[in-house]
Amino acid sequence: MFRHGSFTRKLMAVILLTSGVVLLLTCGTFLVYDFVSFRSALARNLSTLARVVAANSTAALAFDNRDDAAEVLSAFAAEPHIVAAALYDARGELFATYPAGSSVSFPASPGVGHAFGRNELVLYEAVSTNGRTLGTLYLQSDLGALYERYRLYGGTGVAVLVMSFLVAIGLSIRLQRHISQPVLALARTADVVSREHDYSVRAERFSDDELGRLTDAFNGMLAHVQEQDRSLREQAEQLRREVAERARAEDEVRVLNADLERRVAERTEALKVANTELESFSYSVSHDLRAPLRHVLGFVEMLQEELRDSLTERASRYMNTIRSAGVEMGQLIDDLLAFSRMGRTEMQHRDVSLDELIGETIERIETSAKGRQIVWEVSPLPAVVADRAMLRQVFANLLDNAVKYTRGKDPARITVGCLGMEHDRLVIFVRDNGAGFEMRYAQKLFGVFQRLHRSEEFEGTGIGLATVQRIIVRHGGRVWAEAAVGQGACFYVTLLAARVPEMTV
Amino acid sequence: MRAIASLLILLVGASTVLAQRRFDERAIKATYLFNFAQFVDWPPASFADDHAPLVIGVLGDDPFGRVLDDVVAGEAIKGRPLSVVRFHRIEDVRACQILFIASASAPQFAAVFEALHQRPILTVGDAADFATAGGMVRFVTDQNRVRLQINLPATRAAGVVVSSRLLRAADVLGAGEVP
Repeated sequence: MFRHGSFTRKLMAVILLTSGVVLLLTCGTFLVYDFVSFRSALARNLSTLARVVAANSTAALAFDNRDDAAEVLSAFAAEPHIVAAALYDARGELFATYPAGSSVSFPASPGVGHAFGRNELVLYEAVSTNGRTLGTLYLQSDLGALYERYRLYGGTGVAVLVMSFLVAIGLSIRLQRHISQPVLALARTADVVSREHDYSVRAERFSDDELGRLTDAFNGMLAHVQEQDRSLREQAEQLRREVAERARAEDEVRVLNADLERRVAERTEALKVANTELESFSYSVSHDLRAPLRHVLGFVEMLQEELRDSLTERASRYMNTIRSAGVEMGQLIDDLLAFSRMGRTEMQHRDVSLDELIGETIERIETSAKGRQIVWEVSPLPAVVADRAMLRQVFANLLDNAVKYTRGKDPARITVGCLGMEHDRLVIFVRDNGAGFEMRYAQKLFGVFQRLHRSEEFEGTGIGLATVQRIIVRHGGRVWAEAAVGQGACFYVTLLAARVPEMTV
Repeated sequence: MRAIASLLILLVGASTVLAQRRFDERAIKATYLFNFAQFVDWPPASFADDHAPLVIGVLGDDPFGRVLDDVVAGEAIKGRPLSVVRFHRIEDVRACQILFIASASAPQFAAVFEALHQRPILTVGDAADFATAGGMVRFVTDQNRVRLQINLPATRAAGVVVSSRLLRAADVLGAGEVP
């Protein structure tokens, strides 16, 4: 009952229970008091009656007049509660009885005082006159009056209880409204808040008591929550807008990127195609040029052989010029072919010993450059990861150049070494004390057919450094040069170190 | 006091028990004479003073003997002791409250009542015409019981007040008469 059910019902129950208990206790106390007092009143009334009758029966006893005694007793007929009455004479023997001729059994001898039985009140009254005891009056009254009173009181009590209960219900309904109404209003408001998350509702305030203050506090709390909720919503909205904006910006960037990538890819593809076409074109041109050139040279040689004795000195000199020009052209074509091949052939990466590679190259150069005074200074070099054939081409070109441009120096000094690491790559340099060049032309060095010296001064096709750059770039590295006119040049290449590089700086 | 009361009850009881066992007319009448003292009021002038005894007189041949003396011995009514006085002739009757007139005096009733006229003395007798002749209380013996017959006008004329309770227990003559 007190665990479940509404607050109103509990309040009602408390009021009714309290009033009911109070009523019951009051009624009970009153009834008990009344029964006790009524019993003694009953005994007192009976005693009074007995005294009157006893006084009237003195003469009958004194003068042994049983008829008179019976007549006196017969007066009890007017008192319906008197069930039996008797007079005993001074010797304690039955003298007269009431009702006459009844089958009621009387005590054999008189007693004293009064006593309540289950259904009767028994009383003995001495009959005396002038202090002389003449006999005893015996009265037996039924408790009809008592029970009648019990019934009357019980009925009245129940009626009062029921009426009080009804009045209590009515009063409590009216009174508890003052208490339960604010609480119910609070509960309803709280329900709305928790169910609909509507923080704008307010509980109605009914009174200035603690409940009123509670309502105020609740409303204040709601206002606070509402304010916080509003600010949270605003922040969330702002955040949402920012996120949307950022997403849109990212989308734009993505679209731009995609466009850029697409365009780069398109360009790259176009460039590749153009490059391939160019290379295949230059290859076929170089290749196709060699056959007629070989014919020219062959027939010039045959012509010289045939006219050996008849040729004038001038003619012979012309023929030699034609031949050397043809040889030079053949060299040019070979270089072009090699250059174009470098851009096409598959690379095979493996560990390459630079010491070994450079040693072989120097050995080859020494044999072809007899009579030159060259000082080689080669530091021990680490192993690198590269295509061996291509790397051989790189150092052949670099060292050939160094030898070529130190022609006027005696002695020529050529240094090869490792400068250290640039990121994960070794920096290898080849330095000479040759002719050098102006630094403003440093970038032009690596272009095809780009020459800084006249070919009369230093022979060459102008393809070597282009080939070097091409190979190094294909290996993912870079190449650059530093120089000063007349003071020598230094060429740098970066190469991927082998897995366990022997660092020597 | 309580002990005395108990003793009295015992005495009265003993005498009446005796009367009951053998119907002793004398004893009953003696007791009744004593009992009259309790149910009859006399004018104060009939006593010499407040402590004067209440006297039961017996006129003529005394039928009671010691019995009456035994009944009243030691008794007191309303602070007055009781005494028994015997008279031979009506002229001898002095101050007394109850006077038993023996049946032997029957022929002289008229003279006796004439002598007692207006005196506050309760006259008692057992002659058949006692009450009708002017006596106040008559013992009527009937079937082993002694009943009373009271001449109310006579008592009133004598200034003797008989208790209504006594009247209840007796046959009353001239009840309707106005004194």
